Amino acid sequence: MNVRYSAIAALIAFLLGLAVATFSELRIFLPALLRGAAVTIEISILSAILFFSMSFIAGIGRLNSIRPIRWISTIYIEVFRGTSLLVILFWFFFVLPSFGVVLSPTQAAVLGLGLNFGAYGAEVVRGAITAVPKGQKEASAALNLPDWKSTLRIVIPQAIPIAIPGLSNLTIEMIKATALVSAVTLVDITFASVQQNQIHYRTLDIFIVAMVIYYCFSQLIRFGGAILEARMTRHLARPH
Amino acid sequence: MTEPKIRFDKVSKRYGSLTVLDRLDFEVDEGEVVTIIGPSGSGKTTVLRVLMTLEGVQDGVIWVSGEPLNKMQSKNGMVPANKAHIRRIRSRIGMVFQNFNLFPHMTALDNCIEAPIQSLGLSKAEAVERAEELLAMVGLAEKRDQYPSQLSGGQQQRVAIARALAMRPEIILFDEPTSALDPEMVGEVLSVIRALAAEHSYTILLVTHQMGFAREISDRVCFFDGGKIVEQGLPNELFGNPQNSRLQQFLSKVLEAR
Amino acid sequence: MDWQWDFTFEVVLPRLWEAAGITVYATVVSFAFALVGGLILMLLKMSSFKPVSFVASEVIEFIRGTPLLIQIFFLFFVLPQVNITLPPLTTGILAIAIYNSALTAEVYRAGLQAVPRGQWEAAIALNLSTYRTFRKIIIPQSLPPIIPALGNYLVAIFKETPLLSFVAVGEIMHASKLIGSEYYRFNEAVTLAGIFFLVMSLVAAALVRATENYVKRSILH
Repeated sequence: MNVRYSAIAALIAFLLGLAVATFSELRIFLPALLRGAAVTIEISILSAILFFSMSFIAGIGRLNSIRPIRWISTIYIEVFRGTSLLVILFWFFFVLPSFGVVLSPTQAAVLGLGLNFGAYGAEVVRGAITAVPKGQKEASAALNLPDWKSTLRIVIPQAIPIAIPGLSNLTIEMIKATALVSAVTLVDITFASVQQNQIHYRTLDIFIVAMVIYYCFSQLIRFGGAILEARMTRHLARPH
Repeated sequence: MTEPKIRFDKVSKRYGSLTVLDRLDFEVDEGEVVTIIGPSGSGKTTVLRVLMTLEGVQDGVIWVSGEPLNKMQSKNGMVPANKAHIRRIRSRIGMVFQNFNLFPHMTALDNCIEAPIQSLGLSKAEAVERAEELLAMVGLAEKRDQYPSQLSGGQQQRVAIARALAMRPEIILFDEPTSALDPEMVGEVLSVIRALAAEHSYTILLVTHQMGFAREISDRVCFFDGGKIVEQGLPNELFGNPQNSRLQQFLSKVLEAR
Repeated sequence: MDWQWDFTFEVVLPRLWEAAGITVYATVVSFAFALVGGLILMLLKMSSFKPVSFVASEVIEFIRGTPLLIQIFFLFFVLPQVNITLPPLTTGILAIAIYNSALTAEVYRAGLQAVPRGQWEAAIALNLSTYRTFRKIIIPQSLPPIIPALGNYLVAIFKETPLLSFVAVGEIMHASKLIGSEYYRFNEAVTLAGIFFLVMSLVAAALVRATENYVKRSILH
């Protein structure tokens, strides 16, 4: 498992910065950035829940033997992968109300991010399921397991470790994509940086600190994904 | 005594703490056909790979026709060889791989003319003429315009042999040339190698698990274990009356498996 | 739903059509720069001089680890402070190009690494020069995985161009926002922008697949 040196360096720099901030000029903008970070984290966690759920629902749905289920999954995946996230966010926030659905900024952000990345995740899950050797399904049939049981008990558990690298990459992409939520009036790290920059005009400091925060988040997920994958595959002998 | 074609002088090769070649001394004479046998991990393939300069060695000198391969002479004595020196010496050596390693985006003919044109500086007409001869020799004249994926494993390996010969090597290395083949294709490849061995114009070094074939074509058989030659001799002596206990074990296991 | 067709045809479509030109322009130019930038980053990363490859690989990782939007803002605010004044569109294109260079660098690297080791070994055994090995053996075989992956990044860049609306570049998203704030009607403009991206992405994805098949057929047999 490789932890990047820059990740460690960034983390140390961040903690050091935090310490220095208390005494230095960083103090004037850091609290605002941290409040932004709290929003970013909140949106990320809520969106991730929807993102993972949709990945599995649509990914499995796309391989279902019942045609309408397959169609609905495919349409969902194509529509949400095909449009741009920013357009989706705008649409949820500004157009959906005219259908009588009024969403709060947080709801719009979470729905937009979760559904958008769920569509990408569905393709990862679908790929992982098809990567499980066919023999597993045949062996389940030979043991007279019903179809849904063999999917749920035999195929999916083997697909999850295969899907983890892809899903953890998408999680990183999703966290980065939360930078767009100012489009629905939320004040996250990115927008807080813009605001602070307009007030204090310390562009370099503010944006570097903000980017380092994002970078730490990315590396954290990367590291977590690698650990999770290692844990789930440690008992599997890897044939080569 | 004339200088041997290939000479390993106390050659050592390690991967981390694992010693693959252990101060190996090993000689092959010009025109000699030598087979290397041994259990997996014994270092037998490594001998071919370091000779082809696919991998470096930590200690010792490899000599080819009296010239060092991994070192070169300078006014300060022997220094590590530079690229040009390695390229010059290794042009005498050709190699046939276990997995053929044909270039999948080139036809059989293109596989055989690419290097002669680029490395030997032949004209395209010369290279094609020679490649056609060689493809005919391995019995694949009519497959010249086929791509590797359109050929069977045995045919691919025969093209790979033609490709190696097209570089006019003095030494040919065969690294388990039939291990990746279906049983029914082994024969066609072995008969090509047999014909080459009978000519005695090439020095041949062969790593194989085909004991019967090794016994039939070799001038000498070497048994490797633990990065060293444990026993070597004429094929009939070595197979008929093995002295070393590890060789006896190895042979009984191999013969049992058949 | 409240939808006005007159408004759609008389106001929204003409203005979106104009803006679509900027979207396409930004996409194509950023992509072209990203292709070259990625190649340079990849070469630096694969450099045998350790410090260079270390710095290159950390820079790539940092660019990939932070959002494109904040990089756009960063360039937008920082460049004028070091006395580089560029039009917002140019700054935006620069940001998108840098961000995607880090991604295409990985595409190139993965493509090269996908070529089996045996191919390199065969080239050594045939005594081919490094240049010939790359030119005739390695690059032709790494194109089939690289080209569709680059195509996907072209589509991704296209979908990233709406971020330029944050710095007031008049691309399609910005045009719909403006229409929305001028007429207090978002429905038509935002929906049409969405459909525009959806249609273009589906077409582009089909093109990428076609290219992928074509490359596979013409290079590998």
